[in-house]
Amino acid sequence: MMIHYRFLWEELRYGGKQALTFIICVALSIATLTALNSFRRDVHGSLIDEARALQGGDIVIHAHQPLSEKLRATVDALERDNRLYQQRTVEFYTVALSETKGDSLFSSIKAVGPGYPFFGTITLDSGRPLGEALEPGTVVVAREVLDRLGLMMGNRLIIGDTDFEIVDVVNFESMRPVSFLSFGPRIFISMADVDQLGLLGRGSRVEHEILLKLTDPAEADELVKILGASATPRLERVETAKNARSRVKIFFDNLLFFLSCISILTLMLSGIGMQGSLSAILYQKQKIIAVTKAFGASNRFLLTQYLIMVSCMGAFGSIIGIGLGYVIKRLFPLLFGDLVPQGVGYAFHPVDTLEGIILGILVVTVFTLLPLHRLGTVKPVMIFRHETEAGKRSTAALLTGIICGLFLCLLVIRQIDDVKIGIFFVIGLVLLIGAVSLTASACLWLLKRVTLPTLVLRQAAKSLYRPGNASRSIIVTLTSAISVLLVIFLLKLNLFATFIESYPENAPNLFCIDIQQDQKDLFQTVVGEDVLLFPVIRARLLSINSQAIDPQQERERKTDNLGREFNLTYRNSLLDDEVITEGGTLYGLGKNLPTGVVAVSVLDSIAEIGEIDLDDLLRFNIQGVEIDAQVTSIRSRTKSRLYPFFYFVFEPATLEAAPQTFFAAMHLPKELIPDMITAIVAQLPNVSTINVADIAERFGQLMKRLSVIVTFFASFSIMAGCLILVSTIFATRLDRIRETVYYKVLGADSSFVLRVLTCEQAMLALLSSIVAVVFAEAAAWLICTTVFNIVYQPHWLVAAMTVVSSILLVVIIGLASSIGIIQQRPAMYLQQQNNT
Amino acid sequence: MSNPILRAAHVSKHYTIGERRAVVLNDITLALEPGEFTVISGASGSGKTTLLTILSGLDKPSIGRVWLAGKDITDLDENGLAPLRNRLIGFVFQAFHLVPSLTSLENIMFPAELNRDPDAVEKASHLLQRVGLWERRHNRPEQLSGGEKQRVAICRALVNNPRLIFADEPTGNLDSENSREVVELLLELQQEFNTTLLLATHSRSIADRADRILTLHDGRLVDDGLPS
Ligand SMILES: Nc1ncnc2c1ncn2[C@@H]1O[C@H](COP(=O)(O)OP(=O)(O)O)[C@@H](O)[C@H]1O
Ligand SMILES: [Mg+2]
Repeated sequence: MMIHYRFLWEELRYGGKQALTFIICVALSIATLTALNSFRRDVHGSLIDEARALQGGDIVIHAHQPLSEKLRATVDALERDNRLYQQRTVEFYTVALSETKGDSLFSSIKAVGPGYPFFGTITLDSGRPLGEALEPGTVVVAREVLDRLGLMMGNRLIIGDTDFEIVDVVNFESMRPVSFLSFGPRIFISMADVDQLGLLGRGSRVEHEILLKLTDPAEADELVKILGASATPRLERVETAKNARSRVKIFFDNLLFFLSCISILTLMLSGIGMQGSLSAILYQKQKIIAVTKAFGASNRFLLTQYLIMVSCMGAFGSIIGIGLGYVIKRLFPLLFGDLVPQGVGYAFHPVDTLEGIILGILVVTVFTLLPLHRLGTVKPVMIFRHETEAGKRSTAALLTGIICGLFLCLLVIRQIDDVKIGIFFVIGLVLLIGAVSLTASACLWLLKRVTLPTLVLRQAAKSLYRPGNASRSIIVTLTSAISVLLVIFLLKLNLFATFIESYPENAPNLFCIDIQQDQKDLFQTVVGEDVLLFPVIRARLLSINSQAIDPQQERERKTDNLGREFNLTYRNSLLDDEVITEGGTLYGLGKNLPTGVVAVSVLDSIAEIGEIDLDDLLRFNIQGVEIDAQVTSIRSRTKSRLYPFFYFVFEPATLEAAPQTFFAAMHLPKELIPDMITAIVAQLPNVSTINVADIAERFGQLMKRLSVIVTFFASFSIMAGCLILVSTIFATRLDRIRETVYYKVLGADSSFVLRVLTCEQAMLALLSSIVAVVFAEAAAWLICTTVFNIVYQPHWLVAAMTVVSSILLVVIIGLASSIGIIQQRPAMYLQQQNNT
Repeated sequence: MSNPILRAAHVSKHYTIGERRAVVLNDITLALEPGEFTVISGASGSGKTTLLTILSGLDKPSIGRVWLAGKDITDLDENGLAPLRNRLIGFVFQAFHLVPSLTSLENIMFPAELNRDPDAVEKASHLLQRVGLWERRHNRPEQLSGGEKQRVAICRALVNNPRLIFADEPTGNLDSENSREVVELLLELQQEFNTTLLLATHSRSIADRADRILTLHDGRLVDDGLPS
């Protein structure tokens, strides 16, 4: 292999700007992915791979009630055989009061035994193990509890009917790596105290957990099978720590999935930029290449030289990209804030660097195939021709296209970690690009046929068809990039609008649940006004039209699932915000139902999830009693999701006698809510209060943080998009210089040249962004109405701003990268042309 | 003979390449009368193109001054020159230099459109018919032969009815048959439009038809006379 150093050096020197663009593209393409994957490894390392530390045992049995006799017997038998050790925990939310009953705090109580936990760590301020610090009659609390209730160590804390001494402060708990997913700070109590609280058994939502530690962890799967066989279906869940779905894991899986998608978009755009800038280098060199060939240089020789050049630039770009990835990862603490699980570090490991290198090599290889392939198609005869012929599509080009596509598929699938979703993602992307490129062609076709009013506009439109300009590809990439980013933005706006901003002025902001039948009057007295109490009956849906609900499968759903416990209610009328969409009346007035079958009205959102239609037969299990109900109406809601709603509503006669609690929703001025909660809990300790105003605020903060993260990642896509523009302007630099000179020779001043250039860029941006707006609005509407089930607002102002800012950005980039072109003096150019 | 359309006084041009200073034009003084057909002749490299670009204001002299229609253009900037180039001057080049994205008709119209001439289409169409290329009006330069391209370029130079046409080796890229036709056309149109023509060439046969021949040698004006 022969390396011609001077040849290479000259190429790099004269292709300076393009080479720089190429290098930046390489760097951009791998930077965010490298940082993200490094972060993902950290999160997985500390959360998911350390599943036992997250769950506290090898196997976890989960239920909303104490263990059934049968399962208990099985566990005990296995323990006697020395195959496992067990311990029990009970977890629930309740309001804790300060000792004076002057302040209250919604907290997450966890009752544990002395040996808790089997796995993972809990660190206390005193440094003692939890089991040692926590004795009956005492509590160990999170620092927040002390701060918010104004308490100190040694003070007393009231939970339910009992008061406790605060003996220690917990500052790390591996089972609760992030705090943003829970609604209140942690309070540990001793298992021995649980029954005295008077809170269990009165309807409170309690999570019972049995943690199992195995003598031989390899038996985990086998034991899960044995235990599963004894477990009550639906009510008791037995899982290995590895398979247990934790909310933290789901949250990070989703977030990382989403950010991966954006990073892949960045990679693709950078890849196109790479291709563009390399093409620009080669296009400029076309004549030289042709001459070199005419003098006998083989394709092999040229290819070798350019391959080496590309490898150098690629290596350089990769190094910068890895460095950038490191910097980005250092920014993560700032970016993610309290979303990052405790104990997750920000180090950059050798494996991260290695991944960056491999990714860099792959990306550069894939995206430079096509331009380098074209090198071979340059013919010596081009020396004699002035105009360049448009590159014909060869089978080789098709092949490189296929290789690019395959690479992307693999990358997406690997990144998204799910073959099905990955393939959907790729298909969606291909469809989007296909649709966009069709639309772009149509627009360009139209533009060619309309007569524009001024010379400047006509010239600008003409420039779009300049050979080598690749206007269509630019429009396609610009459109795809803008529409993806706009979709993200529109979704964010709509989610914000639904869940945060449009939080209705007088929507209920304090919910009280688990009010007992005999507490109704007392509750009304405490609250001091007439609040509507909704009866709530806990039940499970067993089957739809005799088709049994599979709880396992249901849990896989990303939406609400049919396998969970539902709250049924009964009443004879619609709520203020309800309308009947199907069935005419709630219970099918005058309809003859089969004997033993009762009427039920179903909310449209759950009907969609379960594909439930009018007249379908639903079987419920209401605390042991099975009833069959026929769907007599489908209801829809007109107001925000924050109003109380019930999926299944029955006739009073059906459920009046069933064991029930009551639910109250009220609206109070925000600042009065804490005092009201304190008053309610002091009188009715078992009633759970939910401060919706507070939750909405926390949720709002979470959403804002997430949107900052998404915007941060999306900005790299925007940068990559800009580089594509820059590279195409470089690619057509010679043609642009030539045109500029001609305009000037024929008497145009620089303002004319400037205006033509501006209009050309503006047209490009206008076309792309308008098409993008159309696609993005459609996509966002589709996602909002089908996935999130929220009312969609198009936010046309935002769309218009997108168009305007795209135009500004594109024009500015266009002008900035054309400075040398506009200033071109005619004489020099003409001399050169005459002499070559 | 006291009102020349073009005047140059003591024009010199030099380039500095590294350490070396190359003198391309050396103290050239000349004046062209309206309606004249003048040829600049000289060997390749003698400085013809350089002189033409300076006289037409496409480039600046290192020393000396140039007046176009009585106006000193030496110190005008690009924007000051633009209207002069558009209305006063037409160019015809050896390498045609047609705008590749425009059709032949559009190429011819272009200077008129820049001049906001409402009759741009008529004038361009008329010229295109005059040179016998009407059927080629929708063709782009890449679809035209060399001779056709040069004829379009001549039309473009004339569309704004300029007082002065600069032609730099207009037949340099053409075969002899086409060369003859193009020269014929150029001279006919010069008569019709009554413009001044300054043509650089090293072809004797063209020079023989000129009213006046300026001979350049190594950047100096060595002869100013009538064809022999
Ligand atoms: N930009 C430049 N830099 C340096 N030398 C130049 C430049 N342009 C032209 N020359 C030199 O000036 C001389 C005259 O060139 P030119 O005017 O093109 O001659 P002609 O048109 O008579 O062939 C040549 O020797 C050429 O090398
Ligand atoms: Mg010349």
